[in-house]
Amino acid sequence: MDVIARRDMLTSVADDLRIAGMTRPAPVAFTFDGATFSAPEGESLAAALIACGIRRLGDGLDPARPRAALCMMGVCQQCLLRVDGRLAQACLVLVRAGMVVTPA
Amino acid sequence: MAAATEAAQRGASVVVFDESPAPGGQVYRAPPAGYAMPADPDRLEGDALRAALAASGAVVKTGHRVWGVGGGPLVPLGEDAAPFRIDALAPDGSNSVTEARALVLATGTHERIIPFPGWTLPGVLGLAAATILLKANGVLPGRRVVVAGAGPLLYAVAAKVAKAGATVAAVVDLAATSEWLAALPALMARPDLLTRGAAWRASLTLKGVPILPAHRIVAAEGDKVLRRVRVAPLGGGEERVIDCDALTIGHGLVPATEATRAFRAAHRYEATAGGWVPVLDEDRRTSIARLYACGDGSGVRGAAAAPASGRLAALAALRDLGLIDSTTHATARSAPAANFARAARAGGAMARMMALRPALVAAIPPDTIICRCEGVTRAQIEAAVTDGATAMNQVKQFTRCGMGPCQGRMCGEAAAELVAAKVGGREKAGFATGRVPLRPVAMDALLGDFDYADIPVPRPAPI
Repeated sequence: MDVIARRDMLTSVADDLRIAGMTRPAPVAFTFDGATFSAPEGESLAAALIACGIRRLGDGLDPARPRAALCMMGVCQQCLLRVDGRLAQACLVLVRAGMVVTPA
Repeated sequence: MAAATEAAQRGASVVVFDESPAPGGQVYRAPPAGYAMPADPDRLEGDALRAALAASGAVVKTGHRVWGVGGGPLVPLGEDAAPFRIDALAPDGSNSVTEARALVLATGTHERIIPFPGWTLPGVLGLAAATILLKANGVLPGRRVVVAGAGPLLYAVAAKVAKAGATVAAVVDLAATSEWLAALPALMARPDLLTRGAAWRASLTLKGVPILPAHRIVAAEGDKVLRRVRVAPLGGGEERVIDCDALTIGHGLVPATEATRAFRAAHRYEATAGGWVPVLDEDRRTSIARLYACGDGSGVRGAAAAPASGRLAALAALRDLGLIDSTTHATARSAPAANFARAARAGGAMARMMALRPALVAAIPPDTIICRCEGVTRAQIEAAVTDGATAMNQVKQFTRCGMGPCQGRMCGEAAAELVAAKVGGREKAGFATGRVPLRPVAMDALLGDFDYADIPVPRPAPI
């Protein structure tokens, strides 16, 4: 599956997507679809993936309506993916060290 | 928060369930653990509400996903109303059951996004979603952002994105300049909000951000992710193409009424309050005994009005339970009632601006997906109506529109408007019956160790 997520056009500026001037927890490493990323521990996983330049979270059931963050508040269910094998909404999951995230 | 604080301070035993890690909803949201960021007025207001709640003695269960409601009127015919029952998933995945003699719902809203070609592309994000991304996580939606839709959030998001150093490629406002001018008198009641709004606009003008009043997004385009949007004036006219890596778009807020619908409370359709809302008396009582609704989830009037409506609901509940007498109630309710009326005036003007615009629904092309969960297009919804589906429940059964994991929260508004245009209004189109689970819930959380082998199989009847 071609998850563009392997870093689309935002890659080169990915770090810039985190707004400066804020104190954040120390970054931890996690993997998405086999690639390793880092994000502050406790950041929303959906936000972390956006900040890492990943907006397409998988093809889902139909590439015409792929997985992607949309509502960020747990309502739309569009950011569904698997965290350590279990279905989860990226916007409601907080980043933890070593979490293994795969498309759903 | 305000309802629980009020009730607990007056001696009631109160339990609060909140899905978030900290109470506050979207506007009064607390920063995540370990974050420190410059405080804005919303954050300060939220901190004050959180501090009062923490000191009130109410039990606050955060990280709890309420998926089940029961009791109250939901008992077999002829039986007395039972205490309310709330089923919630705790952060560790276990289920908790709580019973209560009165239930106050403060469910908030979700965003209305009227579909357009390409709205399913990654990079298209809700406007309220963008505020969460920006305020809670300090993350920009993209480097080059188009901000589109209706209401004050447009300028809040655009100003924040621009301030953080990203490019706002355009603000595409459905409202004409004249609509904003018409809203000004009502906003005079809240000079603080007016000042903030003016500051947002000024900062955008200063940065040379193009603001397009009375324009809409015609389509979002890109191969795997969003690359550009096409924009046109509402009345028709030349389209322009704007390159971007993020589109934040929202067409208003819809009250989250799944719980009041599940209780079969009476509802009415009020477009300027966000859509279907529970029928309430002036003390926030629903048509169901001891069930109350407050905040934007009971009709959009803005975050500033929500705490006052919560206090009214709590006081009504205390009165109905006999915990305060009528004199105390009458005295205590006067301040929040006045506060609500004042805040609701400005909030109502904004809600009117964010009300559903039927022209936007009419402009949806036939092959555009309306229901993202189940992949149902406008043409399929309209075909179902032609085939005899006369209301939302039937459209759901005919097409699966609204049957997916989001349970119609995202598609419901556009779908209902399409049906309404054919059957003669939103009241006739109705709404999908509210049912539990209110949110998806994993089977193993409910079943525990229960397995197929544990299903009792009756012995076959003797021949």
